[in-house]
This record gives sequence, C-alpha cells and structure tokens, in this order.
Amino acid sequence: MSKVLTAKDLCKTYIVNKRQNNVLKNVNFSIDEGEMVAIMGPSGSGKSTLLYAVSGMDSITAGEVQFCGKDITKLSEKEIAGLRLDEMGFIFQQMYMLKNLTVLDNIILPSCQSNKIKESRKETVHRGEELMRKLDIISIADNDITEVSGGQLQRACICRSMINNPKIIFADEPTGALNRTSSDEVMDELTKLNNDGTTIMLVTHDVKVAAKCTRVLYIVDGNIKGEYNIGKYENDSQIRERERALNNWLMEMGW
Amino acid sequence: MYLNILKKDLKRKKTMNFILLMFIILAVMFAASGLNNVLTVMNGTDYYLDKAGIRDLTVVTMGSESAGKASPVLEKTECVKSYKIEECISGTQNCIRHEDGTKTETKNNPLFQSISDAKLKYFDKNNDVVRNVAPGEVMIAGNFMQNNDLKKGDKINITFGNVQIKLKIAGIIKDAFLGSDFMGNTRFFLNQADYEKLSSDENIIKNNLCNLIYIETDDLNAAKSAIADIPGIAFTGDRSLLKMCYVTEMIIAFIVLILSICLIIVSFVVLRFSIGFTISEEYREIGVMKAIGLKNRKIRSLYIIKYLIMSIVGGIIGFFASIPFGNMLLMSASRNMMIGNNAGILINIVSTIGTICIILMFAYSCTGKVKKFTPIDAIRCGQKGERFRKKSFLRLGKTNSKPSLYMALNDILSAPRRFMTIIISFFICTLFVLILVNTVSTMKSPNLISTFGTESDLYISGLDSSMELIGAESRKDVENELKRIADEITAEGMPCKLSVDIQYKYKAASDGKEILVSCAQSIGIRADEYEYTEGSAPKNKNEIAVTPQISETFGAEIGDTITIDFGSEKIDCIVTAYFQTMNNLGELIRLSDEAPADMKFAAVLRQYQVDFTDDPSDKEIESRKEKIQNLYDNAKVMNSAEYCMDCLSVVPAMEAVKYLLLLITVIVVILVTLLVERSFISDERSQIAILKAIGFTNGTIVKWHTLRFGIAALAAAILAAIASIPMTDLCITPIFGMMGASDIRFNIEPLRIFLIYPAVIFAVTIAAAWITALHTRKIRTSEATNVE
Repeated sequence: MSKVLTAKDLCKTYIVNKRQNNVLKNVNFSIDEGEMVAIMGPSGSGKSTLLYAVSGMDSITAGEVQFCGKDITKLSEKEIAGLRLDEMGFIFQQMYMLKNLTVLDNIILPSCQSNKIKESRKETVHRGEELMRKLDIISIADNDITEVSGGQLQRACICRSMINNPKIIFADEPTGALNRTSSDEVMDELTKLNNDGTTIMLVTHDVKVAAKCTRVLYIVDGNIKGEYNIGKYENDSQIRERERALNNWLMEMGW
Repeated sequence: MYLNILKKDLKRKKTMNFILLMFIILAVMFAASGLNNVLTVMNGTDYYLDKAGIRDLTVVTMGSESAGKASPVLEKTECVKSYKIEECISGTQNCIRHEDGTKTETKNNPLFQSISDAKLKYFDKNNDVVRNVAPGEVMIAGNFMQNNDLKKGDKINITFGNVQIKLKIAGIIKDAFLGSDFMGNTRFFLNQADYEKLSSDENIIKNNLCNLIYIETDDLNAAKSAIADIPGIAFTGDRSLLKMCYVTEMIIAFIVLILSICLIIVSFVVLRFSIGFTISEEYREIGVMKAIGLKNRKIRSLYIIKYLIMSIVGGIIGFFASIPFGNMLLMSASRNMMIGNNAGILINIVSTIGTICIILMFAYSCTGKVKKFTPIDAIRCGQKGERFRKKSFLRLGKTNSKPSLYMALNDILSAPRRFMTIIISFFICTLFVLILVNTVSTMKSPNLISTFGTESDLYISGLDSSMELIGAESRKDVENELKRIADEITAEGMPCKLSVDIQYKYKAASDGKEILVSCAQSIGIRADEYEYTEGSAPKNKNEIAVTPQISETFGAEIGDTITIDFGSEKIDCIVTAYFQTMNNLGELIRLSDEAPADMKFAAVLRQYQVDFTDDPSDKEIESRKEKIQNLYDNAKVMNSAEYCMDCLSVVPAMEAVKYLLLLITVIVVILVTLLVERSFISDERSQIAILKAIGFTNGTIVKWHTLRFGIAALAAAILAAIASIPMTDLCITPIFGMMGASDIRFNIEPLRIFLIYPAVIFAVTIAAAWITALHTRKIRTSEATNVE
C-alpha cells in the first residue's frame, strides 16, 4: 500500500497574549491509501489542529507533511489551494455551503473551478446528480440550503467533497451536529466511500463513529499517545464487538 | 451589564463599527455642508447685492454731456427715495497691456474708478470691504486676472489717450454691479491720485466719462419711465436683472446644490443599508440575549444607545469636516461674488443634529427586526428554515461561466436589495456627472448659436472700429466699415461679406408701461434669417418679434402692439413672432429690416459676422481663422462653437466644476465601494474560508468580490447613461431658461456619455473593489469552522 499522507516531527505553536502554546509537539504518523483513520482525544488535545495542519488548511511551525510524495509545507499558497481542490475533499462539523447557491450547485462548484476533469458543464451536473442519487439526496438537488435537514446537508457536503474524485477526504467531526440516525447515515456513506477505495481521515469524539474506521490515533496534549488498528469494517454485525474493543483501548489511553 | 455588553461590542466588532462610523461621518458632512449650500445658493445673489448696497435700479450713462443731467431728473422724480452716483472712465479693449507689452483680453471696455469715489461696498477675496487702494496699485474685478493669467503682484500698463500708467495688481475685488460674467465690463479700482492722472486728459473726460447711478425707489416702473429722460443712457437694469447677471455663478451654485442633494441621498441610502446590515448580522447575539430572557425593549435600547454614541462621535467629526468641504464646493461659484447666508454655521449645527436624529430613526426602525429574532436564530445562525422564497436565481449547471462570474451575478440576483444600495449610489453619482458632461458639451458646441444670432463662418470681436462705430452718424457709416474690412479680408484671398447685429435702446410702451428696451436690427442679415419659435418674422416697418421675457413685461402676445419711440417717430408695432435669445438675458425686441433704427440710439454692436462667399471647407475655415487673427492682432476671431463659448463665459468655470465634481464622485464611489465591500467581507468570512478550504485560490475569491461591484457599477453606468439624456433636458433646460433660452437642443456626445465617463467610474469602482477585496487574503481556511 502506498502512503497517501505522512507527517514527520510536526509542530504547531500558537502565540496567544505573548504566551507560547505548543498545540502539536513532534507528531509523526502516516496514512496508507484506502485507510480510514480516526483521530480521537480529549477536547483541546489538538485533533482539529492536526487535521488542518496535514490538509494544508493551516500552516505549521516545524516539521514536514508529505502528501502523495509531495512536501506540502514547501508549496505556495496557490499550489496548496490546487491540491485541496483536486486531490482532497473536506467535510466539516457545521454543514457550510454558499447560501446563495442551490444544493446541487454547491456540490458541483469545486468541479467547475477545477481543471482536473475535462468535461462539459452538463457532464459535471450529471456527475453531481449521480453522487446525490448515490447518497439518496437527489430530491433536494434544486433546494436552497436552508430548506433541507442537517443530515441531508451533511450528505450534500460529502458529495461536494467527492466531486473531484479526491485521493483523501478530511472530515472534522462530520457527525458532531447530527442526531444518531443522521449520524449513522452519514457514517454509512463514508464507510461505503472508503470501501470503494477513498482514503479518509476524520476527527471524532464518537466511539461508534471511530469503530467504523480501520485505525484510531489517540492524541493527548499535542502528542499521539497511541494507535489502535481495528481492521477493515465490513458489516454491521461487527460493530458492537469493534466498539467494545475500542472502548477498552480508549480507557487504557485515559479516555 | 449593558455598558459592558456595549463596550465589548464596540471593541470586538471594530471593523463593522468603524465602517458604520465612517458612513455616519460622511452623512453628517454631506448633509451639513449640503444644507448650508442649499440656503446659501437660494439666498446667494440677494445676500450679496444687499451686502454691497445695490438698490432697486441701476443706470449707466455715457459721455460728459450727460454727466450732470441725471441728478436734476432724479431729484424731481417723486418715486426716487435716494440715489448714489459713481464716476468712471470707460477705456478701450486694447488700453491694458501686460508688463511686457503683450495685449490683455477683456470682454468689453474696461472701466476705471477711484476707490475713494466708491458708493457701493466692494469686497476683497476674503469678503472684507475694500476701503483703500495704495498709489500705484490696482484692484481688479471679474475674471480679468484669471483670463489673462495674472496674479497679485504682477504689473499692467494702462495706455489711454495721452496718459500712461503702470500699476501693480493688489488683488481681486468683488464688484456686485459689474463683476458678473454677463456684465462683461471689468472695473479697475485705482487710488484717487492715479485716477486723477487718467482724468487729466480732457479728451478722455469728454468722450469716455460715464456715471453709474444706483437708485432706491418704491415704484420701479415709474422710476424706469422717469429715467428715460436722462440722455446718454447705455444701460438700465433693475435688481432682478442684476441678479440674473449672476446666472453663471448661480448655475454653478445650483449644480453644487444638486450635487449636495445627491450626496445627501447617497449617504442616507448607504447609511440605511449599513445600519440594517449590521443589525441583521447581530442575529446570534440577539438570539442569545432572547434565550437568556432579555426583553425586546431592552435589547433594542442597547443597540439604539450604541448608535447614539456612534452618531454623536460621527456627528462631531462630520460637523467639523462639513465646513471646509462646503466651502470647497462653493469655491468655484464664489470667485466673483460673496456667497453666504445669515444663518452661517448654525445651519451646519442644525443639520448635524437632524442627521443624528435621522440615524437614530433608522436605528429604531432597523432594530424593529429584533422582535422577529428568536433564540433559534442563535442556534441556527439566523436560518430558521421558514423562508419559502427562492434565493438562488441562476443555476451553475446551466451556465458555462467561470464560478467567480457566476457567483458574483448570482449574489446580486439573490440579494438585490443589498446590491441596490450600491447601484442607486453609483447611478446618482454617474448620472450627475453625465448631466454636467452633456451641459458643458452643449455649451461648447454650435447648438446654441441660434440663441445668440445667426450662424456664420467666423465671428470677430474686439476690433478697434467696433467701439467707434457705436458713435457713427448713420447706418451707412457702419455698412462702409463692414465693406472696408470685408475688402481687406477678400484681398487676402478670402472672399467674404460681413454683417453685424446692432442693439439700440428705445423707449417702448404698452399696457401703460413705458420702459427703455433693447431692440436689435442687423446690417447684412435679414430679420427672416433669424430663428423664431412661433409666428413669422417681422417684415414691415410696424412689425416686431419679441422674446417671452419682453412679452411678459408688456403683457403683449402675438397680434398685440407695443409702441416704440424711434426718436423720429412713434410707431405702434405689431408683435408677429416670438424668438429666444440669451443676449440681454432674453430681454430683446427684434425689429424688421424696414424699421427706422437710428445709430444715435445704438448701444451695442455685436461681433462682426464673416461669411465666406466661395464656400470653403471646415478645414479651410479654420485656416482662414488663423489668417484673419494674424491680420487683426488685437481682435478675437472665433468659429461658431467658440463664439457660443465666448458669449457663455461660464464654460471654463463649468468645465472646472465638471472635473471637480467628477473627482468628488470618484471619491464617493471609492468610499462607498470600500466601506460596503468591507461590510460584505465581514459578513462572508466563513463562506470565503469554506471556498478556500475546498481549494479556491485567493485570486478567484478576489475576482468574485470585485466582479460583484463591477456588475453593479456597470448596471448603474448603463442606467445613468440612458437616463442622462432626458434628465439633462429636465434639469438643465430651466437653467438655460434663466438666461433666455427655453428650447435647447442638447449636444449629446455618445462616446463621452456611453463610454469615457462611465468607464472612468467603472474603472475606479473595479480598482477600489479589487484593492478592498485583497483583504480576503487574510481570511484563513481554518476560519471555515468559525460559526460567526
């Protein structure tokens, strides 16, 4: 398996009121192609900061981040933007979309901006609709984003993150703002995507969500304290057992 | 607690609060200076004439013979309450030269007067009364200094008769009677000793002495009838006529007034938007306050107190800024007159308080939205899902445009009210500039020629003979002189004929009124060659055409009669036609070719009109203009457009005002763009961050934001260009009407109206929006997770 993402001695320091706050301290890890990795840890441990740092959304203080063999810390702002557009997908806790666009237009927007896939606008629309159909939200294609439920909107965000066929999807607490049913639906979609070969790195507090991932990294005070390899999630019958095992491990970690 | 919330708010939302403060300052500044200017302009000429001491009727007599004859007539006229007489010497257009001997340009004959003999009040550029002029110095009224590129301290030579004096210019003087552009006679105020040098020449006293008589009366018509008996009257003008002479200054002042009103509208439109905008951005705070149990009234009062504090701070700054700003606007109009109003700075204070009240009213009405906000707004970031109106108008999937252009267009169509503020502001600013462009371009074109006379190839003014011809014995002498000049020009290979329009002063009576009026009859141009707005040209001896102003004065319409005393005989003349003219501010009668006009009554000889008989091309005419100019060094040779500009001496000032207003418009456009774009950025931080997070570059986001303003500016420019044509007619025709012409064919230059000027405003908008949008580069992708 080739490595999609590698972080070496990653450090991130904030200066707040002249006080240095080391959020990430020499973090090292890597993610292989096709993996679904969850980052867990207590609040303020640096989970989201790690996600933003390795995805190029935030700058780092020291270290190296290799994305498909490229050190993204050495790329220009424009080159990183190009990577995010063409090779990465993003899902956030809040379902941020442009408020003046319909759900479908929000989904196809990155593809219209990208030069990666050479196709007509009609074909882009068709792909967007296919994705929506796959995630069972085709009925809201022409709706404004204020007219749909949170679960539908998050699935639309997944569609948007998928539209440019990215190598990796970064998700920051994708189910954090959803109820259990919607959360399960979203996670089902993400595991389906992972099963189809898309690499996913997500931040979560939810053991049930993490239990569907292949590996869990536990972060405390800016350091990866441990990692737990659960293996590929294949069907719902495994879920209870995976949750139990993960819970035990997390308790060992001090969760 | 409220104070703490308020302090936190002012601190935390620095950008939006600063933007709001800026709008408040602008609104107060525009409103205070604008309202002061409105009052100043409305009272402008009355204020000035009162301060100077101009009374009800002003008369000018020429020649030493008439010098002592005015007083006895006025003494015995019962309706004359008081009068004052000033003595002047009338020079020639060539008697004043620069220090190096080159000629100076004066529109008509200059007048020299001793400051010691001043009966009116004359003011310096600081509006202080001038009481003394030092020996060897001169103070000059009107635009003489500006037209001849002279400044304080420069020297001029006066050579008149046997007298030669060198004088140092001590500065400009504001002359209420003769200082206006329409009067044309520049008055030079000398020290008594220097004046006595001029008056020591007996010939000068005999031929060039003139008296300026200022009469106070309670019966203007009776006074006008009485003074008709004074010999040698060259000019009679009542106060309303003198006021009209400041029409050029008042045109500029009125333009400033319209600009002030535009600026007030723009500032209030933008202010209303920004208050509404900031309130709607507060849904989260308002929702939270409601959730913890604060009542609507309390929440509302919190915001109103915030706006009160901001409007007081902004009001104070705006008030102080309004004084120099208002003065700057009026500067071009107040060069030749003392502009002011009796209320002074009080107006600025009142309008500042008024503006603060309006701001609070806006705040009150906008905070009405507080009632609609619920705690859910705090939770759902302002979206309750209860809006059924479609927001997105365009479909990205159905266009082939780049996302930046699509998003820009879609934003405008989705939130039209938000962008309407920009479109209205830019529309008003652009429209105003275009109206002025149309006006100036009309004034610079030959379109107005029919309001000054007939169209000829060239016009010559300032020939030495023209002044002498005023005293010619008969029309034959004038005809001979015209023939002599025509022969001279023909001898240079430019075959031509010359003509001239002459204005006579005759007593005219109708409907019980008898007044001295100007009557025009030409040599070389038939009466039917002039344009008439109604009726047919006067043909017979007892037929005349009148302007609407004369018609109104005598109450005489077509078919009525006006009795004109030609000296040799009194003729009951039938009005056969109306015509419009900007000569004499529209107070003119046109006589038929058969009327017994006598040079004894001639008052004004207008420019010689040259018509070439060999039908030369326009290019050839321009070349001949140069040749004739070389032939008559002292004269001024003009084509028809230049002749119109010369008659309308307001053109250079209007041109300057046009550029000043373009500059102000550009500044307003920049300010509005800058402040509104900053508001948008502040509102759209999370959307921008999201776009960055999904891979949009800074360049694309800057382009998206810039295009929105570009589209709005383009829409405003197109609307303004289309509206400028009817609006020019609507706004400017009454101003030309004040000068005597009510039927104007405006010269619309499509290149300027539809391209150059809208392009300037469009380019400025794009540049301002682009520079401001660069601020989006500072927004980090990680802000995508920030709820606010």
